[in-house]
Amino acid sequence: MKVRRWILPILLVASFLGLWELAAHFHWINPSLFAPPSSIVRDLLRLHVRKLPDRSILLTHIGASLQRVFVAASIGTVAGVLMGVLMGTSRLVHRFFDPIITLLMPIPGIAQAPLFIVWLGFGDPTIITVGAIAAFFPIAFNTAAGVRSIDPQLVRAARLMGTSSTACLPRVYLPSAAGHVMAGVKLGWARCWRTVIAVEFVAAASWGLGYMIWDASEYIRSGVVYGGILLLMLVYLAMERLLLESVERLTVRRWGMIRS
Amino acid sequence: MITRRTVAERLPDRWRTGLVSVIQFLLPFLVIGLAWELAVRSGLITSSSLPAPSTILAKVWALSVREGVLWRHLTRSLYRLSVGYALAMGSGLLFGTLLAMNRILREMFSPILSLLISVPTIAWVPVFLITMGLGDRTVIAAVFLGGFFAITYNTIRGIEMVDVSRIRAARTMGARGLHLFASVLLPGSSVSVITGLRLGIGYSWRALVGGEMLSAMVQWGIGKMIYQARFWNDVTVMFVGLITIGVTGFLLDRLLIRWLERVTIERWGMVAER
Repeated sequence: MKVRRWILPILLVASFLGLWELAAHFHWINPSLFAPPSSIVRDLLRLHVRKLPDRSILLTHIGASLQRVFVAASIGTVAGVLMGVLMGTSRLVHRFFDPIITLLMPIPGIAQAPLFIVWLGFGDPTIITVGAIAAFFPIAFNTAAGVRSIDPQLVRAARLMGTSSTACLPRVYLPSAAGHVMAGVKLGWARCWRTVIAVEFVAAASWGLGYMIWDASEYIRSGVVYGGILLLMLVYLAMERLLLESVERLTVRRWGMIRS
Repeated sequence: MITRRTVAERLPDRWRTGLVSVIQFLLPFLVIGLAWELAVRSGLITSSSLPAPSTILAKVWALSVREGVLWRHLTRSLYRLSVGYALAMGSGLLFGTLLAMNRILREMFSPILSLLISVPTIAWVPVFLITMGLGDRTVIAAVFLGGFFAITYNTIRGIEMVDVSRIRAARTMGARGLHLFASVLLPGSSVSVITGLRLGIGYSWRALVGGEMLSAMVQWGIGKMIYQARFWNDVTVMFVGLITIGVTGFLLDRLLIRWLERVTIERWGMVAER
């Protein structure tokens, strides 16, 4: 059953790639604009091999992007959870920040980039700041929603049994809101990844997958551009599988908050 | 004070709660704006790269009313948005319906769809720049792609949730093709479809701004306005652009999608009226 499920899509993709390869080979399409699969692979390998004794250019690009995502998303997660808990526990804070988040959330990171370039310059400071902001919003929003939806009986029961109101936070609020928080963290990290790649287009200095794709498109090295897109898919899937799922297993599933 | 209160009391209930929520919405911005203004006026912030709100508002006035450039940027952006979004809506609904109705098509395309969704829309822009040129077409393609996946995905989910016996009943009574779609599938899946349309316009709007920034031949557009301001380090114009993006995105969601909800799923009684 599982094998059968993959046969059709793989056939479809394979025939698409094959047709593309043929079309480029016989010059039905311009191969320098529509680099065929074979030259995508060749271009990527070349990037990997070119300065290999010292380092792989390809892996350095990927590493630079990943590092930025980890730093930015971690900052965004801590700030977002803190803000979400504040908004969830205090009506006043919620009333104040809810409109601000509503209005600022739809502004794409790439549009914020020029502002931060003026303030912080090109490179990591700008990319990480904009990435952290991107992660912050969904996490704060979902944490607030999670904390607000907690059954007040639970809090009362805990208080009655002598838990101080500060101890309620890690013992009652966070575990009960964990499902929401996790959903927010997933959204936030995905958004951070997208934003970091986008901001690398305009603000990166020399490294990063976004920078690699953008640089290649300016010189119309289409093989690297398409290869970059392929890498974006693979890296994202790997990140989702390895990171988020293991975090989820360690927290909400173990506490039995969602069915495993 | 007393007269004002009686005036307020004479307003219909709906207006009054509306007014209260508008004030509640605007209040935080007023507070922050005032604090920021005071910080600049009192010399706490002296940086030229953080203008006072009054300077930004004056710039909004200058660009919109006196010079009118802001409108030109905005209308150009909205034109691209409507073309790209209309394409995304049409093809997303169609493709989503096809995939939901046909098992083989779904098995073929759904893994590919979920792979493609993982790529940020903006990353396709370099591909479009290479294949479609540096102008409007690239931006519209980005807008299209931004909306397309969200609409397709949610249409599939919506139609899968439609009760199969209803589809069978409609089929036995002779409904086919477009007729079946318009009278059974679309209404039945509308809650999820509208969620897709709402997500889609948000993604489209964001993709639009990014696409405008990256396409070299594009001269007008709200994203371009911000991008051009970079060359003069004109932070005030950047703020004007960001505010315009935030407010327009918000209004698109509240006015357009709310209107759509009101004339469809709320009228059909599928969700509680708000």
